[in-house]
Amino acid sequence: MLKPFRLLRPATIEEASRELTRLGDQAKVYAGGVELLLLMRHGMVEAEYLVDIKRIPEMDVLSWDGQHLRIGACVTHRTLEDHRLVAEHLPLLAEAERHVGNVRVRSQGTLGGNLCFADPHADPGTVLLVHEATVTLAGANGRRELPLADFFRGMYDVALEEGELLTGVSVPPLPAGWRGGYQRFEQFYRPTLNVAAAVRADGDRLADVRLAAGCVGPQATRLSDLEQRLRGLPLADALRLVGESAPYLEQRLEPIGDLLGSAAFKIHLTKVLIGRAITQTLPSPAAFAVTVGPGGLGWGNP
Amino acid sequence: MITEAIETLQTIPVLLAINGQEWTGEVPVEEVLLETLRQRLGLTGTKRSCEAEVCGACTVLIDGQPVSSCTYLSFEADGKQVTTVEGLAQSDKLDPLQEAFIRNVGAQCGYCTPGQLMAAKALLLRNPHPTYGEMSDWMSGNICRCGCYVAIAQSIFEAADAPHLAAAQQAG
Repeated sequence: MLKPFRLLRPATIEEASRELTRLGDQAKVYAGGVELLLLMRHGMVEAEYLVDIKRIPEMDVLSWDGQHLRIGACVTHRTLEDHRLVAEHLPLLAEAERHVGNVRVRSQGTLGGNLCFADPHADPGTVLLVHEATVTLAGANGRRELPLADFFRGMYDVALEEGELLTGVSVPPLPAGWRGGYQRFEQFYRPTLNVAAAVRADGDRLADVRLAAGCVGPQATRLSDLEQRLRGLPLADALRLVGESAPYLEQRLEPIGDLLGSAAFKIHLTKVLIGRAITQTLPSPAAFAVTVGPGGLGWGNP
Repeated sequence: MITEAIETLQTIPVLLAINGQEWTGEVPVEEVLLETLRQRLGLTGTKRSCEAEVCGACTVLIDGQPVSSCTYLSFEADGKQVTTVEGLAQSDKLDPLQEAFIRNVGAQCGYCTPGQLMAAKALLLRNPHPTYGEMSDWMSGNICRCGCYVAIAQSIFEAADAPHLAAAQQAG
């Protein structure tokens, strides 16, 4: 049973922002509820007011403007997993969304909620980082755009000011000639670790590369220095360098040892998944580029 | 009738279409659909278990989409079609999934079965002929602690008129 609260259902961003500013810590933004209601049930979040933002029209936009896919904050994971525009422009995001929680969580949970909750163990953020996505935030002082990399500030921490809302995400597809790869490993309903890669290949060389890793430390992170060192290398040299990248990854990702594995194990797994994700982007991926699926307990995978 | 342990602060009028029958009433904003179904409406087929969207025992369909009714606020169902395990059979005629679960003994203790049936129903509504991989991905959110997965899978493929798929594809 949930503790009683009051519900506000603003029709505009301005109204929502005003209420959030007025109520401060007493109010929580409510969209799909898959994270928030669990925390409220367990008493980890106290909310006297829930501000339901699903009636604000722009929150469920999903549109292509010729350069970006614009995804409203309240678009559900199921929609992203299934939608023609996502499959066409952001197939890597569609793949990541397919793994979020389970089908019920995906029916109800929203991309905006996932990003704002900023659980370190999440799927979409890692992929959106290699897409160089931008978030739109709106509040009393108007609107601002922020690279997703700057929106993530740490564990369960994002760059939202008081009274500010995430209204949506703008995601450019990978540039022409680039291909994406997404690798993940899962033990208990959330990814233990994930890696996204985007590569522009020139023969067997990595002409250009973007990499992001999630779930290792407090937040999903682009691996810019490693990307720079891999640029122009033949695949074999690049994979060797990835294999030697533990010191950099430790410093960059701040790995956290927990029930899912020690910090050293996570760095090892990061190296392995980076190698697989890069290989997955190549026109004929090697046999080991296999995504570890949701698995589930007992259903198995053929 | 439901007994409110703590006094509610706010109620909302809702119109629900539950298994094809309209129900109107006031629900507290904090009431979840599982409570409305079981305590307010006496529809106890839907089971409470993990209350964390993990196990699938409380699965119901909202406009054909599966949700965890333990973590779905009832007012969200206003104006929508809610289908529970009680709504699967058409008068005396069991749903093909129910018949197949009975035929294959797709349950041991039976506690997860309503959720398994509703998740499988949602799958077949959307994808009448799933592959084994599509089925196992979809059903991976419904846990059977007795471990009846093989019989459940067989039942789903029989209900989808493809009984050969269960054995053949799982082996493959």
